[in-house]
Amino acid sequence: MAWAGDWDVTEQQLAAKIVAVTGAGPAAVEVTNRSSLGQTDVEAIRRGLLESLSGAGLKFGNTDSASVNVQISLSENVREYVWVAEIRKAAGAAATVVLVSKSRTNVGGMTHEAPPISLRKLLLWSSDSHILDAIVINGALPRMAVLYPAQIQFYRLQGDRWMEEQVFPVPHSRPWPRDLRGRLVLRKDRSVEAHLPGVICLGSTANSLSINCHEGDDPWPIGTDQSPLNASFAQTRNFFTGALSPGIGTQNVAPAFYSAAPVPTDHGTSWLLAAVDGRIHLLDGTNDVVLSKLNWGSDIAAVHSSCGTRWQIFSAASGTGQEDVVRAYEMPGREPIAVGSSLSFPGAIASLWTAPDDNAAVAVTHNAETGKYEAYLLTMACSQ
Amino acid sequence: MRHICLRWLAASSLLLAAMCTSAATRPRYGGTLRISTSAVLNSIDPGEAPDSLLRRNLTRLLFDTLVVVDENGAIQPSLADSWNSSSAGQRWQFTLRHGITFSDGSALTSDVVAAALRMANPTWRVISQGDLVTIELETAVLDFPAELSLSRNAILRRGDKLLGTGPFVMSQWEPRHRLVLAARDDYRDGRVFLDSIELEMGKPQREQNITFDLGRTDVIDIAPDQARRAAGEGRRLVNSSPSELMVLWFARDAQSEVERKLREALAMSIDRPLMNRVLLQNDGEAAASLLPTWMTGYGFAFSADANQARAKQLRTEAGPARTWALGYDNDDALARVVAERILLNARDAGLSVQTTLSASADIRLIRIPLTLTNERTELSELFSAMGISPIKLSSSNVESVYSAENTFLQSRRVIPLLHLRYVSGISASVQNWSVGRDGSWDVQEVWLSGRQ
Repeated sequence: MAWAGDWDVTEQQLAAKIVAVTGAGPAAVEVTNRSSLGQTDVEAIRRGLLESLSGAGLKFGNTDSASVNVQISLSENVREYVWVAEIRKAAGAAATVVLVSKSRTNVGGMTHEAPPISLRKLLLWSSDSHILDAIVINGALPRMAVLYPAQIQFYRLQGDRWMEEQVFPVPHSRPWPRDLRGRLVLRKDRSVEAHLPGVICLGSTANSLSINCHEGDDPWPIGTDQSPLNASFAQTRNFFTGALSPGIGTQNVAPAFYSAAPVPTDHGTSWLLAAVDGRIHLLDGTNDVVLSKLNWGSDIAAVHSSCGTRWQIFSAASGTGQEDVVRAYEMPGREPIAVGSSLSFPGAIASLWTAPDDNAAVAVTHNAETGKYEAYLLTMACSQ
Repeated sequence: MRHICLRWLAASSLLLAAMCTSAATRPRYGGTLRISTSAVLNSIDPGEAPDSLLRRNLTRLLFDTLVVVDENGAIQPSLADSWNSSSAGQRWQFTLRHGITFSDGSALTSDVVAAALRMANPTWRVISQGDLVTIELETAVLDFPAELSLSRNAILRRGDKLLGTGPFVMSQWEPRHRLVLAARDDYRDGRVFLDSIELEMGKPQREQNITFDLGRTDVIDIAPDQARRAAGEGRRLVNSSPSELMVLWFARDAQSEVERKLREALAMSIDRPLMNRVLLQNDGEAAASLLPTWMTGYGFAFSADANQARAKQLRTEAGPARTWALGYDNDDALARVVAERILLNARDAGLSVQTTLSASADIRLIRIPLTLTNERTELSELFSAMGISPIKLSSSNVESVYSAENTFLQSRRVIPLLHLRYVSGISASVQNWSVGRDGSWDVQEVWLSGRQ
């Protein structure tokens, strides 16, 4: 919806052009909407146009009594609202056409319907820029770090608002690959790492902030505090090559994969890999087993909680329409079992990583309604 | 990441394309996208005529322009990252982006840019200095950057072969038959997901359908009059907004008031809404304007309704008249049936029209692709495509463009008939395929699933 004042000038311009053709009237005036404007705006514009026409001296009549008929269409093209008045001074006569236009980009106060909010997700940050990852750094002075393709931005919590604190550029000599991915990692000593394809940034958040980036192909940490694992990322692609360190048991090489999640068991830790071949692989240290009939997406993450078996795997998948969903699974045996209800997001899930402390995940979505990137903290909630 | 498919919904007798999604999977690198089309190209040089949607789409894969126009009609940086104007829009200066390379690894320089623009636009004075390219125009043009987004203003280096800065490089080229493009690993915005694109040209619709059904092609043309049928057969379709103008084009201006009256009678006699309803199953738009309403916002103000009574009256007033020869492309099945309809409508109004395959027809039924830029540039390009001297517009505002279009249409040099959509059939393995409202491909985010 736009502020009424946004249309005043345009209404007066059109009214003046109409009256220049019709004279003082009487005229029958009809307003039709052919644009994407909502009903509230259309009604406001209709009232404004009639007032402006009256103010310009036009007298109104009905279609039968008035000799002049004015058909106003609220139209639009890709850049502008275009209002067209077709003025006929006799039935069947050729119309005189007058137009006015107004840019569609400078109409203030436009609002969008708020996306649905789930109780199991907490919106951390929203941006027009592509968010790759975000982490919250708890402490006496809580901070948040957000990773973008060109920079790492730190925010400090003041009251209930995140206020911009410091920005560190992420230089890179080669073009980023498409479907760019990146991950922020918070170490126990409160040092921060940012991993991007071919670039690693290291820094501290303990006292003053510092970040230094350099080019390199160091493997990315993809595990949790309890189950560490590093994997090499393909510098010009969007996946991990499959080279693992220190490896899963005797398995140092896995199929190329997009994401991985540990599955702690009584006998050690197995790993689920969302592989580039579109399948989910279970690596138990010796065997590589393909799990069938799983409709999982490319992004999975493990979360430690107080619910169920204490470890859940979050998996992104498609929902209805333009929605994506995140669903939680447990692995009591060798097959995942869905637990709880799914979370819906109004757009594609662009990334899903385990958050620091392993007790949550951070999902970044590209909101299809607003076009913004949104970082959410996802947690498991359960009855105690 | 999601991939996108289309399903067709019947709503108010219009076919609407609606997005739906499948698994939330990340894009997969690799594979060859196989495209089959009935269109042919003798050359991939973007400066050569005639302009066509295929030429524009291939140009965008191989070459870049200084600026581009986004889906909202706004100018966005491409090879130029900033620009400014002086002398009230008569002098424009563009600053080039750093680090751009041609497909042979050589750097993009302002000298190369200036040479390319001079060749495409002999009346411009183009000066290069450092990272700057300055263009001096004969007259001021306030929305000039829109012209630089046109494919004929693509920046390329001519030598033994054409070199561009786009995401693909040409690896095989058989004029009128086949083109193979390979992805550039060093593309400035990141390598595309596809490894290559194979394009087969000059394929009849039937052959395209067969290869598509056999899984040998990923993307095919669907003729506008076949779109509903293809949807009914369960094909996955992607369509543009109505972006191709089908128009009757007279070989010369009306030479007398009598001739103008006869042309007016012909225009009044043609039942465009019926053509759209019967021949296109309402999937196009009856057109009385050159540019469609979605581009201008005013197209509906030109009435496309037939008025046989008025047509007969004008025919009677004009007196004796000779038979017009109406030519059309014999390979264009839609043009043939449209021409037959025009003959029937004209006969009802007392006009005599015969079809001919001769090149020396009085009237030609032609199809012209429209490009999303801005109203002034769109209209100007359209005149150029029809071989008509561009009208000098006093201003680029929508009312001036309406006025110019209205004046031109009243001359009855052309009679608009239909605005057609571009429709493509897309195989299930193609992900993220999308087209702009004017039919332009967006291949950079396309990837293939289930087939490498």
